[in-house]
Amino acid sequence: MAVSRRTLLKSAAAAGALSVAGEVFAPAIAQNKPVRIGLLAPRSGIAAAPGENGIRATQWAVERFNAQAGIAGRKIELVIEEESSPKDTIERFGKLVQQEKVDCVQGIISTGVGLALGPVVEDARVLTIYWDGTTQDGVDEKIPNPRYLFRSTDNECEAVMSSLLTIKHWKGKFVTIAGINPDYSYGRNNMAAFIAILERFGIEHKVVTQQWPKVGTMDLTSHVAALKAAKPNLIFSSLLFADLPVFMKQAHAAELTKNAKLVFPAAGWQHTLMKKEFTPEGMLFGHNTLYFANPNASALAKEFVAWYEKTHKDFPEWEADRAYFAIASYKAAVEKASKAKNGAWPSQDDVIDAMVNLSVESLGGQGSWRKDHIADQSFVQGFTTHKNNYDFVTLGTFETMFSPDLQKPPGANFWEWIKTAQFKV
Amino acid sequence: MSAFANIFVGGVFHAAVLFLVAAGLQLVFGVQKIVNLACGSFYALGAYFGITFLGYAQEGVGLSPWLILPGLIVAGILLGFIGPPIERLLRTVYGRDESFQLLLTFALVLMFQDVFRFFWGSNPRSLDSSYLIYGAINTQDFSVPVYNLLVIAAAIATAVGLGAFLRRTNYGRILRATAENRAMAEALGVDVRRVYSTVFTLGAVLGTTAGALVVPTAAASLDMAMEFVIEAFAVVVIGGLGSMRGALAGALIVGLVRAFSLVVYPEFEVLAIYLIVIMVLLARPAGLFGRPVV
Repeated sequence: MAVSRRTLLKSAAAAGALSVAGEVFAPAIAQNKPVRIGLLAPRSGIAAAPGENGIRATQWAVERFNAQAGIAGRKIELVIEEESSPKDTIERFGKLVQQEKVDCVQGIISTGVGLALGPVVEDARVLTIYWDGTTQDGVDEKIPNPRYLFRSTDNECEAVMSSLLTIKHWKGKFVTIAGINPDYSYGRNNMAAFIAILERFGIEHKVVTQQWPKVGTMDLTSHVAALKAAKPNLIFSSLLFADLPVFMKQAHAAELTKNAKLVFPAAGWQHTLMKKEFTPEGMLFGHNTLYFANPNASALAKEFVAWYEKTHKDFPEWEADRAYFAIASYKAAVEKASKAKNGAWPSQDDVIDAMVNLSVESLGGQGSWRKDHIADQSFVQGFTTHKNNYDFVTLGTFETMFSPDLQKPPGANFWEWIKTAQFKV
Repeated sequence: MSAFANIFVGGVFHAAVLFLVAAGLQLVFGVQKIVNLACGSFYALGAYFGITFLGYAQEGVGLSPWLILPGLIVAGILLGFIGPPIERLLRTVYGRDESFQLLLTFALVLMFQDVFRFFWGSNPRSLDSSYLIYGAINTQDFSVPVYNLLVIAAAIATAVGLGAFLRRTNYGRILRATAENRAMAEALGVDVRRVYSTVFTLGAVLGTTAGALVVPTAAASLDMAMEFVIEAFAVVVIGGLGSMRGALAGALIVGLVRAFSLVVYPEFEVLAIYLIVIMVLLARPAGLFGRPVV
């Protein structure tokens, strides 16, 4: 791509301005000033619901932290901006840093936005913690050794876990497999990971069709017909937006879900919309890092779920955990670094150093940060049941796995790692 | 054979919904010469309101589940009241460059999106599976909900009814005359303002009814307005701008091509549709049923 001199100068100026802003404004010095945390989360469009989940969890956490001593004695103030297109989100990130003078930015759900924003975060030198959207392309190519950016567990963790559970429970019970996955890197990577793991374990299989509806497609009757025509024994789907319950409804109406085994690693994002009347029992269903009805949940998680139900008449999904983990990690890192300096407010570099290897209790269990600034958290997946008091499915039997068993180690290539990893099936 | 039937019916169902949206677009352009991007918003409004209306009708009035289909049609028709005020707004761009029309109607799309968010929130809204009360036709591997067939029937009835209205009634003749030559119609005493208002309202009702009819099988979401309007424009280009028969043919072509490409080569789902659009533009720039501009 040709870059004109003018464009180059503009880009350099913008990057420079952001860098200077990072030096000057992060972190705020005065102890009596509140800690300002900028949130970038979608509040409209296809990711609005998970965005709301994350914002609500952050607000809940801030209320709790402020009721005690805030962060190292300073109250927390939230500044919320919309996550939308990569370009607009980058502009809002600049606004949070330059105008709002935030100490830390948290949020980001979209893979595309996350990839575009990563280099800007590094240029701006502002501690930023992503909730979600860590794809393999991003890990391998775009931001290999970030200093200021901390990212969620790899997006493909849930696909790896589903693949392992499929092999564990259904090995020898299927041959023909079909996929219906969202047409972007997340959907494509998940399907490819599923096939790669089947191959790794020498599972006999034949891919009979792969459907790639664009995100948000609301009439999937033709996709359902195409899947039905392919007669798969097993359907793998990482649909996760509003199109997921629509697909289930239309697949149920066409009797597609009657005989096929269903593997849906990301269905938990829409769990309350997965109504019993069209979601069968026995499908492999992923709740990612937060299963709201987990009987083994911590007191913290139970308190949060009860508050969420009472306040919002709803049940939270995993984006709430990701958001809580981000703000709890920041608080823990600041306080750890502050303690190391005998109570003095730490610099941003101190906070970043304290984040690495930090272990924090989140809503989904204990989580930690690797040296490459990728999170490690627990994942929950299991088989659906109708035996509950809700109008949607929950999990009957389920398993919990920790992400070191599901994501590649620092610096490794995901596809090469699948070939050699010591999976616990 | 049953696989073919499944795919065919799936394609025709998609075509039926597309036709209802595209018919409103065609009618409004045919008579008023307005390219109305907001037809997708009418579709979304019908879907959202359909859910609210059915919820109220079932819980408040005790509407029988068997009356879902007529209930949703009523919900779509009730929304006709939005037609006249929006048409009044569009008068500011009559006769002006098409870019003004596109900008104004796109602004309406964005405004409607905020209205949906205000009233119904950001989360997608859906109905339960009560539309399956009509049952399903199952033979061997063929399976289709009767409701889907009823939606197809409703689209066919709309096509036939619109055709009869435009060709056989006096008011239909007045509409066609106004579409042909507004100045002449006005000179002959036609109240063109009222005609425009009526046509726009009819176009809006076609969109809202389509949205209301399809929502039991799908969901209402903030982005659904743009999802269908893009395909509706492909329908219009293939069929010919302003032609009702063109809308029917275009919708069938788009629906079936999409359905079969998903089986043959799913990666070509979108490409296949726009290849046909390009072929039509090259062979018949005015569309299959459109009249060439002289």
